[in-house]
Amino acid sequence: MDTKTNHIRQLTTAWLALVTLTLLSLGLSEWFRDIRLLPLLVAAIMWIKGAVVARCFIESHVAHPFIKRVLKIFIGIAPIALLATAFFGSTLARWATL
Amino acid sequence: MTAITIDELPPPEDSTRRIPGNKGMWAGITCEFVEFTVLFAVYFIARAHFPDAFHAGAQKLSVISGTTITLLMITSSYFIACSLNAIRQDKHRAAVIWLVAGLIIALGYPLTKALEINWNLAHGINGESGIFFTVYYYLTFTHLVHATWGILGILWVLARLLFRGYSSRDYAGLEALACYWHATDIIWLVIFPLFYVLA
Repeated sequence: MDTKTNHIRQLTTAWLALVTLTLLSLGLSEWFRDIRLLPLLVAAIMWIKGAVVARCFIESHVAHPFIKRVLKIFIGIAPIALLATAFFGSTLARWATL
Repeated sequence: MTAITIDELPPPEDSTRRIPGNKGMWAGITCEFVEFTVLFAVYFIARAHFPDAFHAGAQKLSVISGTTITLLMITSSYFIACSLNAIRQDKHRAAVIWLVAGLIIALGYPLTKALEINWNLAHGINGESGIFFTVYYYLTFTHLVHATWGILGILWVLARLLFRGYSSRDYAGLEALACYWHATDIIWLVIFPLFYVLA
């Protein structure tokens, strides 16, 4: 990783992508309020935004494998849990009942 | 003059095994991720048990507040990343300006949160308004606490930067702060859709 290179263009592109995805997720929640696949779209956007921050801001692609793994796992957990709750909610509730 | 042999030269840094910032900060960020993973587990278990309460609850929250906080977090993260980018090129003045901009934007978060809480209370939403709001308050307050530590960190790093504590040869402190703030940003990017988008 060349730390001396000016990465301002890459950072600005990442920021614009994050702003666009944020506004897009609000639009999707309005337009597709009643469709069953809304959680899938929301989970996908959640994962993409986390991956953009990790790659472009934290530079996870050149980081130590442990850091890469921690970020990958954390960014992946919530979208997977959201899909599990949306499509297998009653099963999950049964498993999590004391 | 001091002679230096090949054996004494430090080994070149492996570009795929870099530790951004320092090890201590990554131990802290890992703990932060573990803490929020537990809190998210509670959220999803509660959501699986009470889907109707979560569907109805999200419609009562201020989407404008949630969106504003998201844009503030994303933008402050971007400014701090730009500050790091500037110090790596020894552009000290630019690094200071970007970091001050990041701090000002970051301060908008607690301000917006205070306004949101006032709005909630005016609309009869408190911690006892139901399972959705209990989970909403503890998750967002915990995140606010972590963001407050980040803001204090920005102040400390800014003070060091003003006294030329960082340069293109040593910027580990600024990079560690940036990593913490980006990690806190990633956590908010999970919280935002869970409470404000999935209505």
